[in-house]
Amino acid sequence: MAATTGEREVEEFLLPIPKIKNGILQSVLGMGKQLHVFQAQRPSSKTSGARDKGNQTIFDVQWNAEMHDIARKLVNETHNIFVMLQGQVKSLSQPMLYTQLRKASKQYRSVLKACSMELMQIADACVDDTRKIKYEEHIQEFEMVQLIWSLCEIIFIEAAPGGLILTPLLDWLQWHFQEGNHLALEVTQSEQPSSHPSYWEAVNRLLLQGNTDSVRKLLALHVYSHSEPFLGVDELLRKMPRWTYQHAQSAAEYEMKWRHWRDECIRRYEAGEFTAYKELETIVQVLCGDEAVFRELKNQCETWYHLLVSKLLYQNPTVRLKDLSFEIKACQAVYNLSSPQSQELDNILQATMECDIHQVIQDSCNFLSNRSWWFVSHLADILHHCGQLDPQKLPFGSNLREYLLLEYATSLMAHKSLWQVGVDYLDFCPVFGRSYLEAYIEHIPLETESKAHKVLHLCQERDLLAQAQSVCKVMGMKCLKQDRLGSALSWFLKSKNATVIKQVTDRFLTEYCEKGKFSHLDLIDHLGPSMLVTNSLTFLGKYREFHTLYDKGDIQGATSLLLSLISSRLAPKTFWMTMLMDALPLLNLPQVVLNVQQTYELKHCLEELQRDGTSNYYKNLSDSEMDKLRLLQLALIRNLSRAIIKEGSITNIA
Amino acid sequence: MFVAQTIASEHKDLIHDVSFDCHGRRMATCSSDHTVKVWDLENGKWKCTASWKTPGGSVSRVTWSHPEFGQILATCSFDRTVAVWEELGGDLSTKGDSSANAWLKRISLADSRTTVTDVCFAPKHLGLQLATCSSDGIVRIYEAVDVMKLGNWQLQCEFNCNLSLSCLSWGTSRTSAPLIAVGSDDANIAAGAKVLIYEYSETTRKWHKVSTIYSVKEAVHDVKFAPSVGRPFHQLAIASDELTIISLKNVREESRQISSEHSIFEIRQSGRFNDHGSKVWRLSWNITGTILSSSGDDGSVRLWKANYLDIWKCISVLKADGGAPEEERASIHAPSMSSTPGSFRY
Repeated sequence: MAATTGEREVEEFLLPIPKIKNGILQSVLGMGKQLHVFQAQRPSSKTSGARDKGNQTIFDVQWNAEMHDIARKLVNETHNIFVMLQGQVKSLSQPMLYTQLRKASKQYRSVLKACSMELMQIADACVDDTRKIKYEEHIQEFEMVQLIWSLCEIIFIEAAPGGLILTPLLDWLQWHFQEGNHLALEVTQSEQPSSHPSYWEAVNRLLLQGNTDSVRKLLALHVYSHSEPFLGVDELLRKMPRWTYQHAQSAAEYEMKWRHWRDECIRRYEAGEFTAYKELETIVQVLCGDEAVFRELKNQCETWYHLLVSKLLYQNPTVRLKDLSFEIKACQAVYNLSSPQSQELDNILQATMECDIHQVIQDSCNFLSNRSWWFVSHLADILHHCGQLDPQKLPFGSNLREYLLLEYATSLMAHKSLWQVGVDYLDFCPVFGRSYLEAYIEHIPLETESKAHKVLHLCQERDLLAQAQSVCKVMGMKCLKQDRLGSALSWFLKSKNATVIKQVTDRFLTEYCEKGKFSHLDLIDHLGPSMLVTNSLTFLGKYREFHTLYDKGDIQGATSLLLSLISSRLAPKTFWMTMLMDALPLLNLPQVVLNVQQTYELKHCLEELQRDGTSNYYKNLSDSEMDKLRLLQLALIRNLSRAIIKEGSITNIA
Repeated sequence: MFVAQTIASEHKDLIHDVSFDCHGRRMATCSSDHTVKVWDLENGKWKCTASWKTPGGSVSRVTWSHPEFGQILATCSFDRTVAVWEELGGDLSTKGDSSANAWLKRISLADSRTTVTDVCFAPKHLGLQLATCSSDGIVRIYEAVDVMKLGNWQLQCEFNCNLSLSCLSWGTSRTSAPLIAVGSDDANIAAGAKVLIYEYSETTRKWHKVSTIYSVKEAVHDVKFAPSVGRPFHQLAIASDELTIISLKNVREESRQISSEHSIFEIRQSGRFNDHGSKVWRLSWNITGTILSSSGDDGSVRLWKANYLDIWKCISVLKADGGAPEEERASIHAPSMSSTPGSFRY
């Protein structure tokens, strides 16, 4: 596979264990960005090669794990911006949407800036050196992301094709290169500004950023500021034409003015007006756009992209977006090869200036996604909605925006509390979002009831029926194993799965047989329509209703309910005897409540049980139970005779 | 990358297998020392909550069922048996009570006359099913008769692949017919293809061979279907002399023919890598099937990821540190960032 330019080497990670002769390393991937690595026996070898057999270690190796803890605020606040923007994408049409997209891009950047500043404060206050280094790494990364993002905003989001580009680029410089301002402040606060060692450096830095007002203020502090050369420079700076967004001037008009002004600079420089002061000559050389002086000032520009913008300001201020790339190589050549890290940043910025959006994203993925996909995914989302990304489909059916959002959401889903944010991102991935969500929901640990309810609610909102069922079954099974029958039943009821519900109701009945009473009466009494989910549950509910009726003294109601329960044969056979015993007090009442037909019904039931259950049931009966059985048989026969007499006499009267 | 935690397994010999439960909060390990251990993640630390010796000797594989069915493990040992274990009493005992949780052997499945080489629970939408393969080439599929009483398992199907089998993997897609891929470690290249794909037919109630991966002729040590997460194709990783990643697309599905006939797969090779420079032994996917880890005979573990153009690349290598001095080792033990910033990326 051909390696693309600037690609990194594969990362190597060493585990703190010695190599062993017949061993290999084996690994299992867990939830999220987690890998368990251990030494295992090479499958082909018969003997184990472990020298120290009693010390087998498993390494829990993780990556990308900490970004979200440090940048929680970033994750949460940009999540709000993202969700709002997706809503606007749906509801707004083009000119309005474009305004919102620009706004969102600025909002993302301002949240990032705020987080970066907050992190700086934390880092300053931090006493632990290793933590401090870690914070500083993050700050550095945040700063780089800001630098790239604001340039991308200028070039891909804000720039009108064919429009002038320099003014926003100067803003970009002034925003990200603050050293000139810092120095200027230091100089002005000193007692004798013009003899401050950084006086001229401050002047030059500000000049290279086109901050002419500040330059003039500094020059005015010089002891000789009233001499001719100083006044001359001040005049040139004051007269320098500026292109602004607001001015209703055409580019051609501006260019004419600018050429006129530069001619004046060159004329006055060549006339030797400033030879008295070397530093002033440098300033005017810059104003003239002199090639050599920029090379001299390269340290004050720090980077090639600063130099590029500075040169354009004084050499070609009407540069268009498409011409930007011609100057890059020359500016890069001024600087020596830089460290690999800044090389990667350089590549991204260069690709941005060359308007190669896919290269920008690809390089950013390689370089910046090591801790978070936050940057690329949010940027790609905006660019996608701006119509800057090809809508081309990827090999497996989604697009670049979705691919990146999925990666970002994936990193959130593995987090113990940010997973809910991840869910919202998955909601906006039309192709694979739902499948990813399904996969993750099945793997989200359900440590507590409340978390399970949260996950269940999330499934119901999104119509994920299979997953909702699975959550209920997992929770129900957990409760069942802990003998929490009530909770188990209420979870299984939510899953509407008859087989598992039957398991719990059977347990309820067994418990009743053993203890003679039901636990979780409130639950059984309030089953409502869910009683109809399965027969076993219907039976449980109705049987409980029989007890309620009996306790209330509604003998007629209780009797007919019990009989219908017995004749329906809904109950498991093991429970029949219990029900027949329930009939015993009814049979022994002074008045006859069971008629002939009903008494025969009970007798049939008992006989069926005796025929079928001889093997199991009777063997295990204790003496007292045998007594009860005899009592029942007796009561049945007595009731039968009473009922026959009673029914017979009623017939006679009729 | 960093070591977040080192877990002293207290296994007295090399570990054969480590398996996570569905939620990644429990882990089972098995070893040459004949024991199986269960670990729970408590307050961010892995704690051994159960450990027991199995009668069957060295335990080669351990795997979890879906928690919908309870807390169930299946193991296979070198004595040719497969055992199903269930935890009693749930995790109430982990609160306060420090006594180890009780795991009970529910059944021993001793149908195989040769070594059982792999054991896998089916994806949960197929119910509580367990597939095993053995070195005499027979794949057996068992199903729990009653999910609540695990003492009774029925041998549902059995088919002979006529190749010494080393590994098997269930297809993960919920929407297509059940699939099983098997791999053979038969070293004889002349014996032909070493990876076969079987599909279950609802109409015949049998497993049929639907595809043969001809591109892999060397001994195969592991096969793993990636979680499907909505992909319109199956993705299978094969560990052999090289690592191969293939995608299988059902052509029938595309033409919307009735699924009463078996699938016809169009096979595409997504990547083939010899980065290990030696045999590849074991494979593992992450839960979205976007990262694959492979362990090779060169003693390294490699992580693989596809970029947005579906080009797979090695993104990371983990190795044993040849001979780090004791104190240096201790410093690496401490959770810390790797020294170079941005050293992990895709």
